[in-house]
Amino acid sequence: MSLNRSEKFTVTKNWQDDQCIVYLQGELDLAAASDFRKMMEPIMSDDKLHLRMNLKELKYIDSTGIGILLSILKVRHSNNSTFVVEEVPPQIQKLFTMTGIAKFFAVQDNTQVGNERKE
Amino acid sequence: MLEDGQKITICLPATAEYVDVVRLNLYGIASKMGFSYEEIEDMKVAISEACNNSVLHAYHSQNGVMEINFEVQGDALSITVKDEGQGFEDWEPIEDDQALHNKDLSNVEIGGLGFYLMQALMDDVSVNREVGQGTSVTMTRKVMRSEETV
Repeated sequence: MSLNRSEKFTVTKNWQDDQCIVYLQGELDLAAASDFRKMMEPIMSDDKLHLRMNLKELKYIDSTGIGILLSILKVRHSNNSTFVVEEVPPQIQKLFTMTGIAKFFAVQDNTQVGNERKE
Repeated sequence: MLEDGQKITICLPATAEYVDVVRLNLYGIASKMGFSYEEIEDMKVAISEACNNSVLHAYHSQNGVMEINFEVQGDALSITVKDEGQGFEDWEPIEDDQALHNKDLSNVEIGGLGFYLMQALMDDVSVNREVGQGTSVTMTRKVMRSEETV
């Protein structure tokens, strides 16, 4: 665990058919926010896409990054498309619970299960 | 171990690129005081929220400075983030602020989470603002003594 240095924020996208998994790595803070938002815009508005975001290697997030996740949630919700967030580290899950954004991810998860069951 | 009453002050350009430098300094000081990993992670978010607001709102994109004071107060760390900018109009503490709790996705608003998080993550937060004098945010957190702490 390298606590005593800051880790540059990087994003890796993995495309499989109609699914895109976005892997976040490092520190998603104010300095990283605007590039990340721009990069996500075309992806989040594609309602044919199954969007997953993997946070396993995300080391830091604050209200700036949570705000971007919230705007993705809103777009996906309004055009009725999927957005799943997975492998959330405990410290980041704590912030999701604290702010209340956690419950929106839970809803998205249930929607996904619902779709698979062809409800 | 740092001694009671000791103060550390750093001044940095109030730009987004320097907020991680503030976190690195916080890590150095808080770990010397015996804060746990989790406590330091909490404080990192809180101090960054205060800096983010200085960067975003204080100077309206003029070249400004943010000053961060760390003060050891017994077994507590007091942190003040100060700027001399225009202020935080949209950043008032709200009495019934519930962040995103009890809200639907269609009516949540983005923004306003920063102050909420600072209050949730620190023991005490106060904002002082004077016209023409800028804004200062002071936040305090006590070390939780555990078996592992020397």
